[in-house]
Amino acid sequence: MSTVGDTLNLIHPLVAKYLRRERMPHMACPGCGIGQVVHATLMAVDELGLTPQDTVWVQGVGCSSRITYSTWVGDNVDAHHGRMFAVATGLKMSRPDMNFICFTGDGDCGAIGGNHFIHACRRNLDVTAILFNNGIYGMTGGQVAPTSPLGAVTTTTPYGNIEDPFDMCKMAVAAGASYVARWRSTDFRQIANSVKKGVQTKGLAFIEVLLQCPTNFGRYVLKTSNPQEVVKWIKQQTVSIKDAEKLSPEEKKGKILYGEFLHQTDRPGIVERYQQLLKQHQKE
Amino acid sequence: MSSGVKPGRYFVQGDEAIAEGALAAGCRFFAGYPITPSSETSEAMARRLPEVGGVCLQMEDELASIHCIGAAAVAGMKAMTISSGPGISLKLEGLGWGIKNEIPYVVVDVQRAGPSNGVATRVAQGDLYTVRYGSAGGNASLIALSPKSTQEAFDLTIECFNLAEIFRCPVFLLTDETVGHTRELLVIPEESELKIVKRFKPTVPPEKFSMYPLETPEVIRHPFPSIGEGYGICVSPYTHNSKGYASTAQDVQEKMAKRLVYKVTAHLDMLTRVENQMMADAEYAVVAYGGDARPALAAVEMARAQGLKVGFFRPVIVWPFPDGEVLKVAEKVKKILVCELNIDGQLVREVERASKGKAEVYHFGSGGVEPHLPSQIFNELRRLFK
Repeated sequence: MSTVGDTLNLIHPLVAKYLRRERMPHMACPGCGIGQVVHATLMAVDELGLTPQDTVWVQGVGCSSRITYSTWVGDNVDAHHGRMFAVATGLKMSRPDMNFICFTGDGDCGAIGGNHFIHACRRNLDVTAILFNNGIYGMTGGQVAPTSPLGAVTTTTPYGNIEDPFDMCKMAVAAGASYVARWRSTDFRQIANSVKKGVQTKGLAFIEVLLQCPTNFGRYVLKTSNPQEVVKWIKQQTVSIKDAEKLSPEEKKGKILYGEFLHQTDRPGIVERYQQLLKQHQKE
Repeated sequence: MSSGVKPGRYFVQGDEAIAEGALAAGCRFFAGYPITPSSETSEAMARRLPEVGGVCLQMEDELASIHCIGAAAVAGMKAMTISSGPGISLKLEGLGWGIKNEIPYVVVDVQRAGPSNGVATRVAQGDLYTVRYGSAGGNASLIALSPKSTQEAFDLTIECFNLAEIFRCPVFLLTDETVGHTRELLVIPEESELKIVKRFKPTVPPEKFSMYPLETPEVIRHPFPSIGEGYGICVSPYTHNSKGYASTAQDVQEKMAKRLVYKVTAHLDMLTRVENQMMADAEYAVVAYGGDARPALAAVEMARAQGLKVGFFRPVIVWPFPDGEVLKVAEKVKKILVCELNIDGQLVREVERASKGKAEVYHFGSGGVEPHLPSQIFNELRRLFK
């Protein structure tokens, strides 16, 4: 299929190098933040010199996954809803020599796959997981997510959400991941740097990106379909870890922190430990 | 990595024989979750797999373990998981991913009394339909083998792995607590005597290779390249075209569904394995499978000792169901007694369907906990003879 980009020869060099031309244009809605995160990820891939031969993209189910699946020129393994970490475990333990960049969403990782998320962090599985947090179930049409704000009106909370949102970075830290960071979709360079650190860090890297979903989050929660309004709203909700230090507890109340929460380089993960176990017990 | 075959004579449980069969077949990845009466296999795999350079993981739940082995198979490993009763219910969620992406791996179901948790430590046979039809969405043609002894637990586990490679699909070893926990002689032959099917790998370059052969639905021994082999494979939960790209088109769904079913149904000759005993002059037949086949055969021998013309029939490959072989039995005898450890009647329905009214079919079921006794089946036979 010929696209406007094709006609005008406007294919981004990173897309031309790393994504499947036949899978473009991808299926993200106009104004969606997923494209920005994929762009930042490709910057990291390029700067690290990763190749289709040594790197696999892994997905779950939801916008995060349906949009990124089968776009990477190398191997793409897309799991059932919530099972991304279980699938990543089987892949990484079978091929410890390969890199796994894993895409998941707030429903995939925080709700239906919560248990696998916790245990992948506990095992400190050596993969790089990028959480696309849009605060809502986008693919299914705007239902409440475990990350939706308190009071949010969605298609399944017509009277407002009565549950507090899930801070998944705190969970990743508590459960034992090696690297944990949170950014906004506009923190382009920071996301790319985090992905690079994630790939280079032994153990689980968990990178959450708060991103705009004008189609559903904007429409139902913020009553706007303007992506810029949603981005602005995300910026208003967030404060960097550094800036937060200067704020009073009253000023910090209700703010979402962003930045690097944790970067430990000395916590061995299951991949390393299994190699050690094999050294001791392999007989032949 | 070593061969994993430990030739010799052993006095072990069926569950342990499954582990040795898996290792002999080349299984180098196991993920499980503890559940009675299957944990002995997990424990044996945990001891043995590191010895041969394989991976053994205890996952956080049943779902994780089946997805983990499916992914390991995508990464090139021969892989297995095991469960029972409520664990199998959960595993069915992941089974669909394996079926749809045509991933070769083995799932073992050590059946126990149900429904729900039932009686964890005791036998029943309630999962015949569960393994066949449990994966939501249909459009699957499952293969399941059922052993009656420790030796068969070993032999048929190897066969499960071989069939998984040939048909590129998940294969069930459908066993039960009686077989799993029966300690008896296991003879492991030399490696050279075992027939092991290796993973089929593409012989054409990536641009000429179809990951999913939708245009040739009946083809078997279709190659399965793994990650890192340069084929840019695409595996997903969605209806896919031959490259693995998600599609919502009706013709793609139609082709994919036919592929998943026809690859098995077009090769029933390779998938028919039954045991017939004393059937030549039989006027009545006893049909049973798995662990319950042993008291059933004993009952037939008791009947023969009293001059009753009874034969014994057992499906070894239970799925696809051996319709043709059952019909032959039905055409020969007047009455068929189907013994199984459930009250709702599962095997009996298949026998009834396959008999096409050629013989009267009777059900002798039990809710499980205890296996049938030969004397119970014999008494039922005598009642039928009147």
